[in-house]
Amino acid sequence: MRANQLIASAQSFASIYKRNKSGLLGLAILLFFIFTAVFAPFLAPYNPYKRVDRPLIAPSRKYLLGTNDIGQDIFSELIYGTRVSLTIGFLAAICTVTIGTLIGVVSGFLGGTVDEILMRFTDVIMILPSIPLLILLMAIFGKQSFFIMVLAISVTGWTGTARLVRSSTLSIKERTYVEAAKAIGGGDRHIISKHILPNVSPLIMATAVYQVAGAMMSEAGLAFLGLGDPSHKSWGMILHYAETSGGWYANMGYPAWWWIMPPGLCVAFTIASLVLIGQAMEEIINPRLRRR
Amino acid sequence: MAASAYIIKRTGSRVITFAVVISIIFFLARSAGTDPFERYLSEDPRIPLEQIQRLRHRFGLDKPLHMQYLDFLKSTIQGEFGYSLYYHRPVFDVVMERLPYTLFLLSISIILSTIVSFVVGVYFAWKRGTKVDLWGTNICMFIRSTPHFWLGMILLLVFAYYIPKFPLFGALTPGVRHANIYEFLRDLLWHSTLPLTTLLVRQIGMYVLYMRNSTVEVLGEDYMLTAKAKGVPVRSIMFKHAARNAMLPMVTVTAMRFGFMVNGAILTETVFSFPGTGRLIYLAIMNDDFFLLQGSFFIISITVLIANLIADLICGWLDPRIKI
Repeated sequence: MRANQLIASAQSFASIYKRNKSGLLGLAILLFFIFTAVFAPFLAPYNPYKRVDRPLIAPSRKYLLGTNDIGQDIFSELIYGTRVSLTIGFLAAICTVTIGTLIGVVSGFLGGTVDEILMRFTDVIMILPSIPLLILLMAIFGKQSFFIMVLAISVTGWTGTARLVRSSTLSIKERTYVEAAKAIGGGDRHIISKHILPNVSPLIMATAVYQVAGAMMSEAGLAFLGLGDPSHKSWGMILHYAETSGGWYANMGYPAWWWIMPPGLCVAFTIASLVLIGQAMEEIINPRLRRR
Repeated sequence: MAASAYIIKRTGSRVITFAVVISIIFFLARSAGTDPFERYLSEDPRIPLEQIQRLRHRFGLDKPLHMQYLDFLKSTIQGEFGYSLYYHRPVFDVVMERLPYTLFLLSISIILSTIVSFVVGVYFAWKRGTKVDLWGTNICMFIRSTPHFWLGMILLLVFAYYIPKFPLFGALTPGVRHANIYEFLRDLLWHSTLPLTTLLVRQIGMYVLYMRNSTVEVLGEDYMLTAKAKGVPVRSIMFKHAARNAMLPMVTVTAMRFGFMVNGAILTETVFSFPGTGRLIYLAIMNDDFFLLQGSFFIISITVLIANLIADLICGWLDPRIKI
């Protein structure tokens, strides 16, 4: 019975989503990048961590996007980078959304002092500039690793979700069916899991998409500043190496545009595609937006 | 509520915020299990253990944790953020030297981008549903999706390399002594054109969308219909009635997103080697200068909180309803 309901709602979701052209475009772009990430070993012509030729060769048929300052194939770096960037983005988004939902639901449902304290805390994290905070956190954790990066991004990124989930919880809490559930003796846990969470979940889905975009942007920034994991080269780290080596503009009189253009475009297209998907989902959840 | 009470309340909440931040950072740094002496001295076997112990005692690191916390709190309030390991100078002095450059970039870009996005956003809302609006919002969305530092690198590539009109790095021409303030400003502006453009483009991309959506929302209100029925000209409906009401959420957003703009400034400064706090943080990472990192984080946070407070007060002044 529940499975049927789920399929039915997924179908109606898909049928509305199909009408949204920019949403479909976003989905197509994202699927393209996910495909690249999954099949990276088959798509990449060279090993991105090995030197294959002379440094800073301009793009040619042999090296589609040329080579970097130590002679690694940039096209292969980019393909493997897709994997790292997307994985960090999605993992961090899952963590931030989980933390945000937890704090939001607890804060909205319990109210009172708990709510006050949690929201104050949320404000604190929200107001602060996230990159210095992330840098400091990573410096405290001490190691530059893939998971520390995910952890650091998650610890600072949950505030928006918490706020949204809280306000949504507050409005659902007042509805009559929750009152009815309370009247027949439903406990807090029952109400949260059976009434609040299912009703908040569409909203959570839409914010989760934005969270992936946000996490990828943070990752790119941190990696660019040199805080990435050297054994997992992401798009941001390709740009970091380009920046620190100086090779991209000091290369024997001509700048290595092929080194810096592609990673940035990849980041921009992925994030734009996520935003498009998020907007399409928001329109479905909030029909008031559709009429505009 | 009286205006002064409002100001006191707002300021108080910022002070609490900052105290919370200090505490979090302190306990995180200590719970990571290393104290500064372990971190920087234990690698050198020539330093005898007794000497490390003596130093530890001198700096109070052998005291219990809560006493250390109180010491830390006291010195932070006094503006003592420790000693930079790389510059061999107090962290406070090093950061304060560079803060004006960052504030310069931030303030100019915020003012300009607010004005531009105000006009463009209202225009898009006016033309909503047309091609102009569709293309405009999509372009803004794409700009918003590009990383700051990459935008900076591209600008650098085009306008400092292919068309060498602007300098590659720095805020002032090295070694030049400026004859008067105008020369100085001209040099500074010439150097900061590209960094400012980077920040401006990103911020405009973001705010145009906010302003447009917020104006579209206001256009749905009943009093807009009344204004139209009265025969108020469209231009005056848009800029006098709609835009004025749509601006409030914009100011709030600016206040909330100030921290976000600092992020942008940090990345942009890094690309352009602009000697602000952002560049300083980058160098601190590169040189493993923990105290400098910590100190710059605190000083930047205080700056953000103050800016936030100012925006908050402006909000209260624009919309008296908030005070209640």
